[in-house]
Amino acid sequence: MLEIRSARKVFYKGQADEKVALDSLSLKLATGEFGVVIGSNGAGKSSMLNAISGALVLDSGQVIINGDDVTAMPVHKRAMRLARVFQDPMKGTAASMTVAENMLLADLRSQKRTLRQGLNATRLATYKERLSLLGLGLENRLDTRVELLSGGQRQSLSLIMAVGGSPDLLLLDEHTAALDPRTADIVMQATVRAVDALKLTTLMVTHNMQHAVDFGHSVIMLDAGKLRLEISGEEKAKVTVVDLIGHFSVKTDRMLLAS
Amino acid sequence: MDLIQNIFSSFVALVPVTLAQSLILAFVVLGIMIPFRTLNFPDLTSEGAFPLGGCVCGVLLAGGASPLTAIAVAVIAGFLAGCCTAFIHLRFRIHTLLAGILMMTMLYSINLRIMGKSNLSVFGSPSVFDWAPYLQPGFPASKIVIAGLIGAAVFILLNMFFKTEKGTAIRAVGANSDMAEAQGINVWVATIGGVGLASAFSATSGALMVQSQGFADVNMGLGILINGLAALMIGEAIVGKQTVLRQLAAPFVGAVVYYQLVSFCLAAGMPPPDLKLATGLFVLAMLALPSLKRSRGSAPARETIRE
Repeated sequence: MLEIRSARKVFYKGQADEKVALDSLSLKLATGEFGVVIGSNGAGKSSMLNAISGALVLDSGQVIINGDDVTAMPVHKRAMRLARVFQDPMKGTAASMTVAENMLLADLRSQKRTLRQGLNATRLATYKERLSLLGLGLENRLDTRVELLSGGQRQSLSLIMAVGGSPDLLLLDEHTAALDPRTADIVMQATVRAVDALKLTTLMVTHNMQHAVDFGHSVIMLDAGKLRLEISGEEKAKVTVVDLIGHFSVKTDRMLLAS
Repeated sequence: MDLIQNIFSSFVALVPVTLAQSLILAFVVLGIMIPFRTLNFPDLTSEGAFPLGGCVCGVLLAGGASPLTAIAVAVIAGFLAGCCTAFIHLRFRIHTLLAGILMMTMLYSINLRIMGKSNLSVFGSPSVFDWAPYLQPGFPASKIVIAGLIGAAVFILLNMFFKTEKGTAIRAVGANSDMAEAQGINVWVATIGGVGLASAFSATSGALMVQSQGFADVNMGLGILINGLAALMIGEAIVGKQTVLRQLAAPFVGAVVYYQLVSFCLAAGMPPPDLKLATGLFVLAMLALPSLKRSRGSAPARETIRE
């Protein structure tokens, strides 16, 4: 379960370009719930994810994961509970290390790292099996350095790395936005399969209204750092792209084209 | 013909001495490689950590400590110096190179304070090189054996370490620190520990050097960094850097080849004062090579020491 209690963050406080990124934002996501976050640029979506992951320190307010207040925890401590897939495929993987080594790093996310050998036969077999679920042939490239993979393969790897070990919370930060439509589709399908199979509590930021309509149990819309709209349950099942766009205060070309 | 023979014979005569020296200096090259390559933390601390190790070792030897104790204390001193550099960078967000320069400059005074004077003779004090079995102490052979054995042990241990769970985590911090943090790795601990370890190797080199040459000097680190970089680049050109094993072998191979090259140049009649210029030009050429290649249209190579 994720709970955000009146989170507030102001950038450039007291200066001419002061910007309220999060304005007393409160949010609840039940265990196993898949929430889709939408909102125009600058609405506070990324700030919210960063506040949850610990990359952004809040001015006030709390972040609670599974009942524990993690507000004061640094990024690497929160990593025990949450996993994140970034928009940029380069950010989520270590380029100069191999596929297997990246899997190992993710595998040890919530464990204490020891002085035992990292990649052993058991682990390699597990990684092979997990990667084969993607159907991209990554299972045969365990010793390939990640920088030699395509953006789509890297992002798929990031996803497998994130969902492995069933984190308490999965954060997806526009994770298909940088991919071509076909690869984006593969990654999105893999995401939904993993989230359903492992019943992960998930928060996905997207600019793709069709994704917001098709996936997830609820739609959360942010505007100017506030929660503007929350659609869940039966209402969510009936919602259309046009309905969602209607709620945007500023409509971008991209959204209009999508409708 | 005579001239060539002359050059060759004087070069060959120097091979054992140079080999002994290069095996000792291989630890500085290792201490330069780890921050530059593994941690992505371009670091200049070694220029101060090398004499620090030497000065600490010299003072302890002069005070009658055993050679092993002297090296152990030098290693700890080097480790702390490296930790300080990493801490300055992390805490105050000062560029790694500047943090290194700060440490190196401050270490000069500290080294002078430790020794109380600018140089110290420990000639005749016992050294680890006396312990080579069946070999006459004081000759290059005993130094080659002892330094070579320590080098081999360090190489094997590091190769094993970088493949453990902890070692993989440290490499991840160098490869992508944001990603490492998101995977639950404490970037501060890994960076401080890693740079500390590297400086500890530089200090080891200084301590061994003092035991080998029989004196310590505050200026013994002058130019060690550029020599080490040149050696590292030669090593990487020979054995590559694509795997952990190759990257770790590069400092040792590079040090041996580089110092033989220097010795050959000197035997061939290059005036010693020109050595630094030649080394500098060599490092510059190695760094410039990728960008020259790129302008001719081949694949761009990312060079972390540049920029």
